[in-house]
Amino acid sequence: MNSNTRVLVQGITGKEGSFHASMMMRYGTKIVAGVTPGKGGSDVLGIPVYDTVKEATKEHEIDASIIFVPAKFASEAVYEAVDSGIGLVVVITEHIPVVDVAKFVRYAKSRGTRIVGPNCPGLIVPGESLLGILPSKYFKKGNVGIVSRSGTLTYEVAHLLNETGQSTVIGIGGDPIIGTSLQEVVQEFEEDQQTDAIVIIGEIGGTMEEKVAQLKKEGKLTKPIVAYIAGLTAPKEKRMGHAGAVVYMGMGTFESKVEMFRKADIPVAKTPYEIRDVLTKILRK
Amino acid sequence: MKLYEYEGKKIFSIVGIPIPKGQVVYSPVNVPGKVVVKAQLLEGGRGKRGLVRVTEDSFSTISDMMKEGISTFLIEEFVSHDREIYISAMMDRESGNPMIIISPNGGINIEESKDVRTFVIPLDRTLMRYDVDAMEKYVGYRGLTPIVQGLLKLLLEYDAELAEINPLAITERGALALDSKVILDDNALFRHEELLNELRREKPASDSYVELDGDIGIIGNGAGLTMATMDLVKLMGGNPADFFDVGGGADMQKVAFAIERVGTNPRVKKIVINIFGGITRCDEVAKGILDGHSKVNKPIYVRLTGTKEDEGKEILTKAGIKVYEDALSAIGDALR
Repeated sequence: MNSNTRVLVQGITGKEGSFHASMMMRYGTKIVAGVTPGKGGSDVLGIPVYDTVKEATKEHEIDASIIFVPAKFASEAVYEAVDSGIGLVVVITEHIPVVDVAKFVRYAKSRGTRIVGPNCPGLIVPGESLLGILPSKYFKKGNVGIVSRSGTLTYEVAHLLNETGQSTVIGIGGDPIIGTSLQEVVQEFEEDQQTDAIVIIGEIGGTMEEKVAQLKKEGKLTKPIVAYIAGLTAPKEKRMGHAGAVVYMGMGTFESKVEMFRKADIPVAKTPYEIRDVLTKILRK
Repeated sequence: MKLYEYEGKKIFSIVGIPIPKGQVVYSPVNVPGKVVVKAQLLEGGRGKRGLVRVTEDSFSTISDMMKEGISTFLIEEFVSHDREIYISAMMDRESGNPMIIISPNGGINIEESKDVRTFVIPLDRTLMRYDVDAMEKYVGYRGLTPIVQGLLKLLLEYDAELAEINPLAITERGALALDSKVILDDNALFRHEELLNELRREKPASDSYVELDGDIGIIGNGAGLTMATMDLVKLMGGNPADFFDVGGGADMQKVAFAIERVGTNPRVKKIVINIFGGITRCDEVAKGILDGHSKVNKPIYVRLTGTKEDEGKEILTKAGIKVYEDALSAIGDALR
């Protein structure tokens, strides 16, 4: 993603959609069209609105779509984007039933569309493009890649890493099943020439963090990585805000994640504030 | 939404999972013969608390349990059996497919057990004979088809995020679900109105509040930041009393409500608030804090940064509430 990425906003006439579309445009993101069924022919912020994604793609070249459609209709919006051949779909919407997410993620994969989210803040390439709801003023161009399962914590950490700045920051979302996993993003950071170090902001539930540790153990990751895991004090089987931040059957506990990172020689910061110190220490080496 | 055992079993029988004969009662009744009386609570560990009892005198057993403040009971026939199996279903987060988790030894502390296996059934197809065959071979019991089919139905048609049978008893009559643990996906409840009506249950209000047993109230915005705040309190020697995420774009009312909810917990001595405003506006939060704090007379430690931070800080400072630049110092003062 860069400043030339042409973006479609699905749900552009809604409160969230129009507000964040204007924030993204202000940041320099190239928004070329919007979609809201029944509002075709109108425009928002000077951006033409279409009834369907098909109509929008007929008139414009589109590389990515961002979805602000309410939960009940969000799945349909994803299918529509995939069927129109859009390569990247960022789903901001939260509260989509997990079985529906499993189905559209699978569908998108089989047709070569990359999904980020759902229930995610999106991504930002500081100084280039914003495809999400991240408050851009806390991000600065630099060489650290941040990947996170949480929104506000990401802003906090990016802000703390102001000195080094960030190459790309991506919030992958807090749901149990998501389109783009932690390990996929970390592997992309490994290959990205703008990224010199990687910060992982994980949390309890699931096994994505363990998978990253495994990759490191296998020697597939060479760049310095610092990890942080939220949920040290979270009780078992209680959902901590995110649908995905819950431990069932003992899978994905705080301890199992920290243990796997230790075994893979990935330093784990005890607090979000410690991330900066740990990172500075490794980068100096 | 977590279901009571009897509610879970009601759905079990709808999807074809065999259950023992039983009835739900709300006061002591006499059922002749050997029966099992089970208190209906949403928490686990009933066995250890003596709230599941085999008895021939259901009346006095229920009277006994009612003294502990329990009001709903399931009375079931006593089922003699030779073995117990563990079986459950949930979505595999890794592959996005349904998965069956099974162990030849049920009733045990399954999370620590080593003999547990998972079987993934791809979303693109239905359950096949060879799927069940592999499971049956693993546990050494033939006759799991209706159980596995039922569990998958719970996952895919009833949107259960967890459907668990522990134990599944192997009896002369076949396999019987002696217990049920069913958690429905809150996000999918909108398409199960009929079921909710039948169970006489309302949609749960919010899942952003989790009560813990400490004495420091925690409020934050965003699940990650709120969890991190809890963890910080613990690391710095305190004990969190709760997790309360006010969510993205929280307004004045929501913040005030959060403070009231957290502050009225009698165990809470102090409240730590950690806000990083993105979509959330700090001036709205500050107004909410004033409102909430006026109703809850407990010390409050506020870290407030982000969108409209200067306005927010001014509102609080004018009212005599100290605002901290970072969470560490706010928590540090709260624990002093």
